Amino acid sequence: MGMKERIGEIHEAMVKELLGATSTQNLEDIRVRLLGKKGELTALLRGMGQLSPDERPKAGQMINEARAKLTEMLEKKAEEIKAREQAEALERETIDVTQPAQLPSLGGAHPINMVMDELIECFTGMGFEVLEGPEVELDHYNFELMNIPKNHPARDAQDTFYVDDNIVLRTHTSPMQARAMLTRKPPIRVICPGRVYRADEVDATHSPVFHQMEGLVIDKDVNMADLRGTLNAFAEKLYGKGITTRFRPSFFPFTEPSTEVDLTCSSCHGKGCRICKGTGWIEVLGGGMVNPKVLEMCGIDSSVYSGFAFGIGLERITMLRYGISDMRLLYEGDVRFLSQFRK
Amino acid sequence: MKVPMKWINAYTPCNVDAETFQKNMIMIGNGVEGYEELGAEVSDVVVGRVLTCEKHPDSDHLHVCTVDVGKESPIQVVCGAPNVEAGQLVPVALVGAHLPGGVKIKKGKLRGVESEGMICSGDEIGVPPELYPSVGAAGILVFHEDYPVGSDVKPILGLNDTVMDFEVLANRPDCLSVWGIAREAAVACHSEFHKPEVTVREVGGDVHDYVQVDVEDTNLCPRYIARVIRDVRVGPSPLWLRQYLYGAGMRSINNVVDITNFIMLETGHPMHAFDLDMVEGHHIIVRQAREGEQITTLDGKQHPLTAGQLVICDASKPSCVAGIMGGEESEITEKTHTMMFECAVFDYAQTRLTARALGIRTESSGRFEKGVSARTAMEAINRACQMINELDAGDVVSGIIDIYPNPLKEQVVEASCERIAKRAGVPIQPEEIEKILRELHFGVSRDGDHLTVTVPDYRQDVSGEADLCEEALRVYGYDKIPSTLLRGETTPGGTSEKMKLRRRFSSLLTGLGFYEIMNYSFVSPKTLDLLQLAQDDPRRNMLAIRNPLGEDTSVMRTTLVPDVLTTAARNMNHGNQKARLYELSRVFDPQNRTEEGLPTESEQLVLCLFGEGETFYTARAVAERLLLEMGMQTMPVRSHQTYLHPGRTADLLCGGEVVATVGEVHPQVREAFDMPVNAYLVEINVECVRAMRKPMGEVKALPRYPSVSRDLSLVMPEQVEVGPLLEDMKHAAGKLLESAGMFDVYRSATLGAMKKSVSFNFVFRSADHTLTEAEISAAMDAVMKAAAQEKYHAVIRS
Repeated sequence: MGMKERIGEIHEAMVKELLGATSTQNLEDIRVRLLGKKGELTALLRGMGQLSPDERPKAGQMINEARAKLTEMLEKKAEEIKAREQAEALERETIDVTQPAQLPSLGGAHPINMVMDELIECFTGMGFEVLEGPEVELDHYNFELMNIPKNHPARDAQDTFYVDDNIVLRTHTSPMQARAMLTRKPPIRVICPGRVYRADEVDATHSPVFHQMEGLVIDKDVNMADLRGTLNAFAEKLYGKGITTRFRPSFFPFTEPSTEVDLTCSSCHGKGCRICKGTGWIEVLGGGMVNPKVLEMCGIDSSVYSGFAFGIGLERITMLRYGISDMRLLYEGDVRFLSQFRK
Repeated sequence: MKVPMKWINAYTPCNVDAETFQKNMIMIGNGVEGYEELGAEVSDVVVGRVLTCEKHPDSDHLHVCTVDVGKESPIQVVCGAPNVEAGQLVPVALVGAHLPGGVKIKKGKLRGVESEGMICSGDEIGVPPELYPSVGAAGILVFHEDYPVGSDVKPILGLNDTVMDFEVLANRPDCLSVWGIAREAAVACHSEFHKPEVTVREVGGDVHDYVQVDVEDTNLCPRYIARVIRDVRVGPSPLWLRQYLYGAGMRSINNVVDITNFIMLETGHPMHAFDLDMVEGHHIIVRQAREGEQITTLDGKQHPLTAGQLVICDASKPSCVAGIMGGEESEITEKTHTMMFECAVFDYAQTRLTARALGIRTESSGRFEKGVSARTAMEAINRACQMINELDAGDVVSGIIDIYPNPLKEQVVEASCERIAKRAGVPIQPEEIEKILRELHFGVSRDGDHLTVTVPDYRQDVSGEADLCEEALRVYGYDKIPSTLLRGETTPGGTSEKMKLRRRFSSLLTGLGFYEIMNYSFVSPKTLDLLQLAQDDPRRNMLAIRNPLGEDTSVMRTTLVPDVLTTAARNMNHGNQKARLYELSRVFDPQNRTEEGLPTESEQLVLCLFGEGETFYTARAVAERLLLEMGMQTMPVRSHQTYLHPGRTADLLCGGEVVATVGEVHPQVREAFDMPVNAYLVEINVECVRAMRKPMGEVKALPRYPSVSRDLSLVMPEQVEVGPLLEDMKHAAGKLLESAGMFDVYRSATLGAMKKSVSFNFVFRSADHTLTEAEISAAMDAVMKAAAQEKYHAVIRS
């Protein structure tokens, strides 16, 4: 048999095998036979020594051509098989993407603190500084400096927990007004969030412990319109465009004039609904111009400076915001309740 | 305060509906909590005359009546009341009438006899005896005056009125009166206020012949006025007066007592009437009570009195607690012949103290506590005498006793219109300010910008320019206040360092799956017993509240642990399988006082973990991670707390200080708190963290040379603590050591009892070269040598 026939034979056999190959492993075997040291074509090359010098170049060329052809075929086949095998693997690896997955656990801050943080962000953005003070407070700051002398009827409105004759659990965050004025020089812009205490029995809307945030601005020419502007900005930031304030005359011993401040009901946008009892307004805070008597007691010259102050009840805002109907839930710490809140 | 609109309208005709009235009043600062339209549910009930009244042929108790209701022909009504008789004038609900409770009257048959309406009892049309005296339980209501048949019964019975419920502000005691409210209503509704002219018809005689009054303490009683009425004719009050009182929420007693209540409601001056014959010696003495004296008040209760409490006495004993409640003995009765009206002013603070001490709150004490003007008292007592004249309830003796040693001067306030407008933030003109103040009955004289304002006697709340500003602004309109932004020097603003740390903790903890809880700041002192704290534990020094709501909330907490455990237990018992909770709040230390003498308030952070997967180590790991985030590398050491498992408690030390404690809740404490499952606690001393936390500093360059890792398993006695061992080994490994950790603990029979095998991993790296085998071997040799020390006896596992 001549060289040419031999090559043809090997070529034919391998093509047959290649076409029949079904796995990467088959192909690997074929590759070894084709290109390996013990492969048939390699053996032919080695055997060329027996050929005449004339025949050698031609034979070598034929062998190499056959090898190149087969190699090309092999590679093509290899790609084909790899693609098929990958497709099979993907098929095999398919999972049920709808099967419920275990969520990583994530906690949450208390809703009152969430709301408090939002308020703080809003006011610090307007140049207010956060100031905190004692919860167990001197009667002097809590009452006297707030223009509420001993046995003043206004003390009735705030049923007070006493430690002794001179020390109380603060009934509001207002004593921080005095502390701010006594330690700072105008211009003063502070907010004072914190816990306050009143001797109220626990029910759905009362708690002996609750949270307030006091705001105080002292500067030259501060007026009621500035209070309104500041609170309008706060209302809009907290509840969105279209939420504004309504001022109603009121009385606080430490402000004059004093005002109750209602916000547009955010659930009906002022149309009137169950939450605002049909009025379109929700009462959320009180404020006014700092009483000149308070300024003087706190060492601020009332002929030069004026100021406004306001106090916001955080429980009330939180409850309205999230539709919480029973205040006790806020202090029970049940995770089924707490896990419902997000920012 | 409740006031029927008719009473207000008597002094200022407000021609507006109830809703507008409410709105207008609120916008000038007079809160109206709500209003009740009397008889709103009643319609088509008319006056009818019973013409005939026969027994029902088929019933023992029913009657068949013909009733003239002003129509062409009488109607037939079947009536079950025993008191029905021919000739009576009665209320008849016609067919189609509405009655309280949604009742609608229909034509019907009663035992076969047709009935075209219903003769009503007071109850059926919502009329109590207070409103119409002859309403009895006996049966139908029978009118005792003559009214035209067919006329609406509502005006007759006082059912056509609206009762307003005012929320009077603490600075406006003058509005605890109908006159006060009417004055405000006149401004709110743009109507005129007319006070009746007060004149008294006297019958001669001299008041001094009837009674002697001495005021011993003119500080506590700055003014005392007395007038005497003789030939007192006690009887029922007229219908209009009963209806006024009913609307105001008071019960009619008799004409004399009703007059005192009427005057209190109308003028705001509480009054008292004494039966002079029951006043021993006809002598009234106003003085402080003596220790040990007693009084039986009108309500039949006996009260011991203490010095300082002001009493009105007769010659021998207290007969009245001044301004609070009268005594039983000198009460007006049907037998009263001669009486004395008292209209006085008592010190607000002492009245408040006494009322609290005796536990009595009355309409009278409430008014004195808020402040009653001495200057208007004379008008009030004369108005009372005028009422005596009008009701013919007695004869007014001439002369007045008025003990008023230091008459109050009228209050005059100087102010600037410009400053008022500036403060208010509205462009209000001086003319307008002046007009408003006049409308509010202030005396005003204006010289350009300058105002000289005389304050009405009843407005004790107005003493300065700021007060006038509020007066002007509330009438000008709070709704006209514009909205302006803050001007002037800007301030940087920002949160405090304290708050920043709290927020950092909060964001880390919430990321780690913790929910924040809040508990009251006060607890029961017994909670510390549940923790089994030693008697001398400093946490037992708790700040006590003098007037707590109850024992459960009587002391300020010194630790958050009991509250956190209680909350965890509540969660467990509510069926919550697992939870991670934290509370970050203040604790109060009364032993260490601030410069001002206040207890020290410091922040504490307590974590509780329970449920599947939680162990002592997960709890400690959370604590270590939190502290690492604060730049604090900590070391655990075995520790002890009475409420934690003795074998499962550690302190985390940083720089020799305990910054945190971690432990499993002691089984006994678990039981005490009713916790069905295991829980782990972490307490972090926030103040310590605040002082010791470190900023992160500069970042390290990434390594350029490879690291080499070596594992090492050591067998050691069970009681060897891995923490210190690892620390020692790390120390021994030298500066090439990058990190070291433990990854497995293994126990088996082959190792032997009381032995454990612990596997460690060490990673070495140099910043400037690739490590050689020799360097690593040397380091590992040092590590093994450290482990082999006598205190560890840790040897390589073979």
